[in-house]
Amino acid sequence: MKVGIKIMPRDVILDTQGRAVENSMKANGFELQSCRVGKFLELSLVTADQIKAQADVEKMLKQGGLYNPLIEKFEIQFM
Amino acid sequence: MSTQNLEQKLKTYRLSDEEYKLMTGLLGREPQTVEWALFSALWSEHCSYKSSKIHLRKFSFRNEKTPEMDGENAGVVDLGFGERIAFKMESHNHPSFIEPVQGAATGVGGILRDIFTMGARPMMSANYLCFGEAEAPRMKELMRGVVKGISSYGNCVGVPTVTGQTNIHSKYNKNILVNALNVGYFGPGQKMALSNASGPGNLVVYVGAKTGRDGVHGASMASESFDENSEAKRPNVQIGDPFFEKLLIEACLEVLEKDYVVAMQDMGAAGLTSSSFEMASKGQVGLVIDLKKVPLRDSSMTAEDILLSESQERMLLVCAPKNFEPLQKTFKKWGLDAAILGEVQKNRKVKLMWGVEILTDMDPDLIVEKAPRYERPFNKWDFPRRTDRLTTPSNFNAKSWIDKALNNFKLNQFHWIHNQYDQRVGARTAAACDSAVAFARLDHSGRGLGLVVGCRPEVMMMDAEIGALDAVYYPAFQLAIKGAEALAVTDCLNYGNPQKLELMSEFVASVDAIAKASREINAPVISGNVSFYNETLGENIISTPATGLVGLRESVEDIIPDQFGSAFQSLVLVQMNWVESWVHVMAADEKISLFKQNVTCDVPQFIKRCAQMDQEFQKQNNFVTSIKAVGLGGIATTCLKMTTDLVGFDLSFDQVNTKSEDLFKDTFYGFILATEDLDTALDFLKKHFKGLAVDIKKIGETTDQKICLTKDAELDFKDFRNRFMKGL
Amino acid sequence: MSLKVGITRFLGTNCDEDVRKWVLSKSATATYLWYEDQFNVKDYDMVIIPGGFSYGDYLRCGALAAQTPVMKSVKEFAQKEKPILGICNGFQILCESGLLPGALLANSEQRFKDQWVELEVKQNKNPFAKQTSNGQVLKLPIAHGMGNYYADSETLKKLSDQNQIWLTYKDNPNGALLNIAGITNEKHNICGLMPHPERANAPWMGSSDGAFFL
Repeated sequence: MKVGIKIMPRDVILDTQGRAVENSMKANGFELQSCRVGKFLELSLVTADQIKAQADVEKMLKQGGLYNPLIEKFEIQFM
Repeated sequence: MSTQNLEQKLKTYRLSDEEYKLMTGLLGREPQTVEWALFSALWSEHCSYKSSKIHLRKFSFRNEKTPEMDGENAGVVDLGFGERIAFKMESHNHPSFIEPVQGAATGVGGILRDIFTMGARPMMSANYLCFGEAEAPRMKELMRGVVKGISSYGNCVGVPTVTGQTNIHSKYNKNILVNALNVGYFGPGQKMALSNASGPGNLVVYVGAKTGRDGVHGASMASESFDENSEAKRPNVQIGDPFFEKLLIEACLEVLEKDYVVAMQDMGAAGLTSSSFEMASKGQVGLVIDLKKVPLRDSSMTAEDILLSESQERMLLVCAPKNFEPLQKTFKKWGLDAAILGEVQKNRKVKLMWGVEILTDMDPDLIVEKAPRYERPFNKWDFPRRTDRLTTPSNFNAKSWIDKALNNFKLNQFHWIHNQYDQRVGARTAAACDSAVAFARLDHSGRGLGLVVGCRPEVMMMDAEIGALDAVYYPAFQLAIKGAEALAVTDCLNYGNPQKLELMSEFVASVDAIAKASREINAPVISGNVSFYNETLGENIISTPATGLVGLRESVEDIIPDQFGSAFQSLVLVQMNWVESWVHVMAADEKISLFKQNVTCDVPQFIKRCAQMDQEFQKQNNFVTSIKAVGLGGIATTCLKMTTDLVGFDLSFDQVNTKSEDLFKDTFYGFILATEDLDTALDFLKKHFKGLAVDIKKIGETTDQKICLTKDAELDFKDFRNRFMKGL
Repeated sequence: MSLKVGITRFLGTNCDEDVRKWVLSKSATATYLWYEDQFNVKDYDMVIIPGGFSYGDYLRCGALAAQTPVMKSVKEFAQKEKPILGICNGFQILCESGLLPGALLANSEQRFKDQWVELEVKQNKNPFAKQTSNGQVLKLPIAHGMGNYYADSETLKKLSDQNQIWLTYKDNPNGALLNIAGITNEKHNICGLMPHPERANAPWMGSSDGAFFL
């Protein structure tokens, strides 16, 4: 089973990449209000059970260090 | 206000009952609105130095090269030829423990700002790190994270990280130390900027990044020990942006060069609060600031949030009204905002507004000058471990000691750390992390500026006074043998809880010792930082007064390396016996050594004589091919550090008189040199050190990929090299 | 009349001053080319795109710099077959601009690497290799996190066949395919390399081999 995880900076956290991209796009005349940059992880899991998959992925996130809760937030997406 | 309400407020703002009384006394009333936050931030230990200030006055010694820069951000040294440098060291211990990458990164950013806020171009960065044992909880993550933070920030901002020290000890298991240092350069004619606001009618201008909720309550956090809840604590981590900082450096230096600026201060700990109050207090003027004019990243922020925000890469400056437009244009060119927040006024009050609402109208001296000054109790230092008779540790086995040290990173080149740092950006670097002392070429005169960090925690554990003297003597000695005389000292005093008698005693003994040593070697302590409360659940770190020293060398040519050059050369030891102990050997077993001290030794004179050696070597055809100060673990450990993948050493030369443990004994201070011409070397050294109580003798030879300690103890060369160079 | 060199300057470029000093040491003139402005290609004999962290390396290394106005003039300069040298981030910017084939990915060990490397000159037919000979070994420093050269197999074959591989590592530090440290375009006027010649211009720096490049 393929599961996607969207990891973005937490809303209060300064997103330095997003800021740079935003300023560059605006400087080149593109119409953009704001931009935040994160990352997308694609995980292939052995299980076909969605409930188990959710639990396994959350374990990887919270115990396996897949994201940094101090500065990031995540969203699990079943693909 | 009810007592319960008051108790809650004091807890939230981290003020004691006495401080509350002092505060209300000074105000003449209860604090209102944002005033609680102002006092909380500015009276924190980190900002006010309330436990240390009375002792830091002992660093008042200055000479003709170090003008008095009372209260300025960094100390300045006049190098002659129109050249000056500014340098300083700062701690970022608590934030790095919570989020190591950003904690270390923002530490680097902060010290850079302290330097370029004065108009100096940052030229060399260094760091001083103390970690716990690799097996301690989170420690590997902390080590990798801190190194990543320092390297990603330092490399991107374009300032080379040229030297540093990494210490490993179990006492740092729960409190790591991350100290960052920077040296900045002023060329001939380059203006220095000060931070005292002046000129009623001048504008107060905010430049740099927009303000967000980063690190709200950060300064108070640094002043508080960690408790069980630290792991669960999720402050709004300050995020550093080295790209933005690079833009800020260019823009600030440009407006300073064009003379648009009256005064400038960076927004560091306690952000806008400290910069505005300190600029006003130093300049003996008042300021009017409308917080609604502060550029915000998050429009829901309150006045208090804005005042306490520690968003990075922001500066506060004062400029004449006519200069605002060109100044703003310059910042815009570099992609940065410049916003007018208010103006300087003659009336000596800082008036903070929220639109038309007055939040406070206060004399800045009440907070800055009248901050509490504690005389924490301490005892006179009495050298608890000094002895007349030093006994050799029994059952010492060189091979197993080395084995253990390699396993727990106490014997490691830390190559894996150094090669993550860009050491050569700027095209000035002549010597960097491969040596104990870094050198960079000064742009105008071509002379070599040497930089080295100091303080050996194991020596501090043995004795706080000896350890603090060592924190100045040893790096000065390291500079000297490379041909540079120490000019000035900066420090970062990392200690535990100052309210504990024994720790405060160590602090006072250290400050006294550093002041004494700095006078003796004529290198004033011109800047510094204090980090208290490095304590978790009652356990404190080793008292660690980290130091940074700069020195000047005639040129950057022919600097003799630390490492062995080739095989079949003679190794000569030159040693003065001021203090003798078994620090390093016993530390392997978590024991603390006693020591013997010879008070008649003239260490400063020895250091001075060493500094004159290098020029003599050069006159006589460079007969010395390597030179290194003997570090902890004696001549054997030092030789191990001098090995390369091709060259080893053999110390079994004079085994009649030497026991293997003597090869690991700590004797302060000595150096080892390698030479192809033994007779010339011995002749020269005997003449050069005439009149001083030093031992000069051949101790061994360099070899072709062999390591021999005694006739019975030979190490596997390849195995040693692999493990010595291995990383995390 | 001395060589007129233009040195591009983007937000975040930090080896510009180093390159300027290097150019001046060779008795050429050096002028900064600000990223927001186009320039007259007739005014310069050579353009150098220095290293550093333009735009903080955000999004992709060199990506945002490649989109700036000055690069329009650099492309024109390239079309006129005048010499262009891209160093480190400069090499990345040339690839992102399409002026050189391929891309620079993260080092195989996923870490920034600062060290000395030995390079082998594989072709000396470009303006920056004139003072070197084929097979010559040069010592230069590298300092990068994204120096792992990648191109698809078709492109790699073309580079080999058309003598566009300029410098290779004797001991590959970052996983770059074919050990590529530097390449040129087909016409051999646009040259990019990851190591820093401007940091090896005198013995006290650790090597003077960088002096051969200008």
